[in-house]
Amino acid sequence: MSQIRSYLRALGYALLAAMLCIAPARASDLTIFAAASLKEALEEVTALWTAEGGEPTRTSFAGSAALARQIARGAPADVFISANTAWMTYLAEDGAVAAETHRGLLANRLVLIAPSEAAQPASVLHEPPTLSTETAAAFFHRLGDGRLAMAFVDAVPAGIYGKAALEMLGLWPRLSRSVVQTDNVRTALALVARGETPLGIVYATDALAEPRVTVLARFPKESHPPITYPVAAIAGRETRAAPFLSFLSTEPARGTFARHGFIPLP
Amino acid sequence: MEALPPDLIDAILLSLKVSLTATILSLPAGVLAAYALARWRFPGRQILNGLVHLPLILPPVVTGYLLLLAFGTRGPIGGFLEAQFGLTLAFRWTGAALAAAIMAFPLLVRAIRLSIEAVDPKLEEAAATLGASRVWVFATVTLPLILPGILAGTILAFAKAMGEFGATITFVSNIPGETQTIPTAIYALLQVPGREGAASTLVLISIAIAMAALLLSEAVSRRVAARIGGREAPA
Repeated sequence: MSQIRSYLRALGYALLAAMLCIAPARASDLTIFAAASLKEALEEVTALWTAEGGEPTRTSFAGSAALARQIARGAPADVFISANTAWMTYLAEDGAVAAETHRGLLANRLVLIAPSEAAQPASVLHEPPTLSTETAAAFFHRLGDGRLAMAFVDAVPAGIYGKAALEMLGLWPRLSRSVVQTDNVRTALALVARGETPLGIVYATDALAEPRVTVLARFPKESHPPITYPVAAIAGRETRAAPFLSFLSTEPARGTFARHGFIPLP
Repeated sequence: MEALPPDLIDAILLSLKVSLTATILSLPAGVLAAYALARWRFPGRQILNGLVHLPLILPPVVTGYLLLLAFGTRGPIGGFLEAQFGLTLAFRWTGAALAAAIMAFPLLVRAIRLSIEAVDPKLEEAAATLGASRVWVFATVTLPLILPGILAGTILAFAKAMGEFGATITFVSNIPGETQTIPTAIYALLQVPGREGAASTLVLISIAIAMAALLLSEAVSRRVAARIGGREAPA
């Protein structure tokens, strides 16, 4: 009995110690919540920002949905960069982000990819063609009875855009039964990279980050709603976030995003 | 509460199908592994023990990724199964059942193993000295005594299979009607602003299924315990 009690007491001390360690979590750093697809690019941008004398930053990368829900519940963030407008609008209407700081930061393109070995070498050298209603069907021929990897077509932005584009090209009714839906766009990318699916639909920036896939074609811009990454300061943190938000519009920051395949918005 | 669209009803039925298949098919292997770990001394016993417990310790996403590497159409086992038996696991409900079975296996084995270790080996030895073969001893002495443990393990495994998410989504992704189980459907709903209503309905339904399974197992194990004790089950 006394042994159990001493175990419990030790456990209590351990918990207390753990809480003391967590409590003074560095409140001083500028905290940025950002969509997972921005990871490589934004890490370079924040490194630049700190090198140019900006205050130290902390970044938390996850799906936009998870981050938006955390922010709505009062997560201690200063800046939020979302991968789609729906979640940012939700937060703006909720009053969780400062609506006057809300603007489009980046744009992205949607591409059709295949495992590298499956593509003709020529397509690596040339600018990938843009799909049209006439040419699209030919590209999806190579699917056979294989599957098409996409992010959740009703829930994750990359999947929603992809479904819209396929609908617009008149291919959705035929392809919908072949789609495997992944929880995020990077998982779809990984399935194609591993050769588990012969085709996939991802962002141009994802395809750029994975050497084991080849871009077969790009989806026309007008085939889906614009792919916009909005940024905003969290409500009450506008002053704190302002210098970083304006840094995002400087040439070095825009250049870094562009090198990772994003299209910086004016 | 929101009325459930048909694809979510599919998700519930599929979850039941996947979990039942996973639990029933892994039961014999679970009993065998538990018996081997509890009673036999053989080289590699600790390795078997480690392998059985691995899915409990590894992040589910890692287990799912390993499954994809091994059982995907390009994987060594997946390729063999497809070529020899025409059995495809990747992106099929069968793969979801495999993922659920592997994730639930440690819980199944642990519960059964504990109940085997609680059986006095002298009872088994006594039966053996009276001429019963090893299999007969197991069937007539050990098995009836460990039935409550098997039942507890089975329910635990079923509950774990119903809730499995990480390995399933990584291995078989999310295909409505094929691999979209309740947890995947809830996760997908939570990605969209304003679909919390449908998500909560699904949450309530999965709580109801879990509670029903638990109450059922309690009732059955009370009956079994009463029978082992030689009394009639209380009405």
